[in-house]
Amino acid sequence: MMQGSSYSIRDTFGKLLVELGEKNKDIVVITADVGDSTRAMYFREKFPDRYFNVGISEQDMINFAAGLSAVGFKPLIVNFAMFVMRAWEQVRNSVARMNLDVKILVTHSGYSDSGDGSSHQSLEDIALMRVLPNMKVIVPADPEDIKRSLPVVVQELRGPLYYRMGREYSPSITTGMDYDFKLGKAYVLKDGDDIAIMGAGVVLWDALKAAEELEKMGISTAVINLFSIKPIDEDTIEYYARKTGRVVTIEEHSIYGGIGSAVAEVLAKRYPTKMRFVGATTFGRSARSQRDLLDYYGINYKSVVSAALELVK
Amino acid sequence: MEKGGSDGTPISLEELNKLKSIAERARKNVIRMLFYDQTIHVGSSLSSIEILTTLFFKYLREGKDPINRDWLILSKGHAAPALYAVLAEKGYISEDELWKIQDISGLLQGHPEIFIPGVDMATGSLGQGLSFGIGVAQGIKMKGGTGRVFVIMGDGEQDEGEIWEAMTHAVTRKLDNLVAFIELNGYQLDDSTSNVKPKEFLPDVWKSVGWKTLNCDGHDFVSLINTIDEALKVKAPVVIFAKTLRGKGFPVIENSKRQRSSPDDARKFLLNS
Repeated sequence: MMQGSSYSIRDTFGKLLVELGEKNKDIVVITADVGDSTRAMYFREKFPDRYFNVGISEQDMINFAAGLSAVGFKPLIVNFAMFVMRAWEQVRNSVARMNLDVKILVTHSGYSDSGDGSSHQSLEDIALMRVLPNMKVIVPADPEDIKRSLPVVVQELRGPLYYRMGREYSPSITTGMDYDFKLGKAYVLKDGDDIAIMGAGVVLWDALKAAEELEKMGISTAVINLFSIKPIDEDTIEYYARKTGRVVTIEEHSIYGGIGSAVAEVLAKRYPTKMRFVGATTFGRSARSQRDLLDYYGINYKSVVSAALELVK
Repeated sequence: MEKGGSDGTPISLEELNKLKSIAERARKNVIRMLFYDQTIHVGSSLSSIEILTTLFFKYLREGKDPINRDWLILSKGHAAPALYAVLAEKGYISEDELWKIQDISGLLQGHPEIFIPGVDMATGSLGQGLSFGIGVAQGIKMKGGTGRVFVIMGDGEQDEGEIWEAMTHAVTRKLDNLVAFIELNGYQLDDSTSNVKPKEFLPDVWKSVGWKTLNCDGHDFVSLINTIDEALKVKAPVVIFAKTLRGKGFPVIENSKRQRSSPDDARKFLLNS
């Protein structure tokens, strides 16, 4: 299985932004002085009149976008995940409360800004965003998932959206898989009978790797890509909980309030199931690579295998 | 779109009297709301009555096209009762609705929501209106519209960091279809503005970063109209520092940090005025 790709997450994203800008003249891109790092610069080069750098001003960025939306533009906010959180209250009180068509597209989520350390790593954003009424939350797994989902959510969905991406690290997870993105639908990356691993984002590589390891031990393992975190695919979650009776979630995010919590909310209501949560419980630290951090904090296939074995014994 | 704004002629006595009587009714209605809910922000609302009356009855051009109409953003959203009272005068909402303010069965929320007719932005959390106004003004310019954007802020609100972010942003965009008001009533929630954080430097700062700054008496219609007329001719973002009194016209709280009063005080005032 490939670990790494020649096409980074943010480059895939930046090039897609240009394609979307060509198709829809109402799309404007707004960033807070991170156009180069997020690759929003590709849009700036092509459409300078529809590109706004508001400076290092995240609160202003959110409400400026809200105002543009109110007069018919389709604003795409592009920024680091962490620094949008600085303006969470603006997202709540202006964008979500008025149900405006503002898309918040973030890079550098999770540990992906590895070198910069805990100040730049966002492990709480899914929890903060999914709690907001009207807000939808999408977490693509890899560049292919971004290509599947970004055009759909930008062109076809109205209303507030939080779209969470990493930076460079992009293990190939869904390459060659033939499926479409549908809001509120999960995708089964691998079917199985004994245990279900559910998650979203780059850590699905670990989920698939763990499934391989478990299969070697004779444990039939399903892997579910929950790229639509909100709305979430309750039917698929319930189906695999009933089928396997055991669920492990994995996320590059705090286990408090994140993807595991979202799955637990569904199962508590529809089919209470034994679960284990693999994810962050502390702030991060600096490292030379995102992979080093995932391994350091045990958000990897080894932890998933251990959690799975606890459930099957 | 109806012909809007000032045509340069001085205000007639008839028009002045009309504005005064509208503001007077709105003022009394805000005080009357105390009979129904004692938690509304009366002091801040009475500070804004004349500004809102002037904008709604002399300047704001209505319409459904978002780029060819004017926008009013009450960034100091706690003055919602004043906005509602003026919207009732304008006929956007019925006067009966005013008495149900903040009631579970009512339309009118404690702070503005966009489902209320005549409200352009949901506010209530301070410091957010100017950035939104910049987005609207910028969007109007990009689409070649004629709409103008008016944003009303308080002096206490100037403590918020987002104001600085927005202030410098508006200048970068050269938005000459944006007029901001900063009411100077000298009080914020806990204390006088001077005791909380200095505000005297504000006009210098706004001017230094590139705004045209104007001053007016925020309770005097002639002063307001002359100043807004001048603002609309300026080819840059304009901020009007409007001197106001918190609780203006309601002696038991006027020019004090008191935001509220009792229904009994309201009754006495209304009987004697």
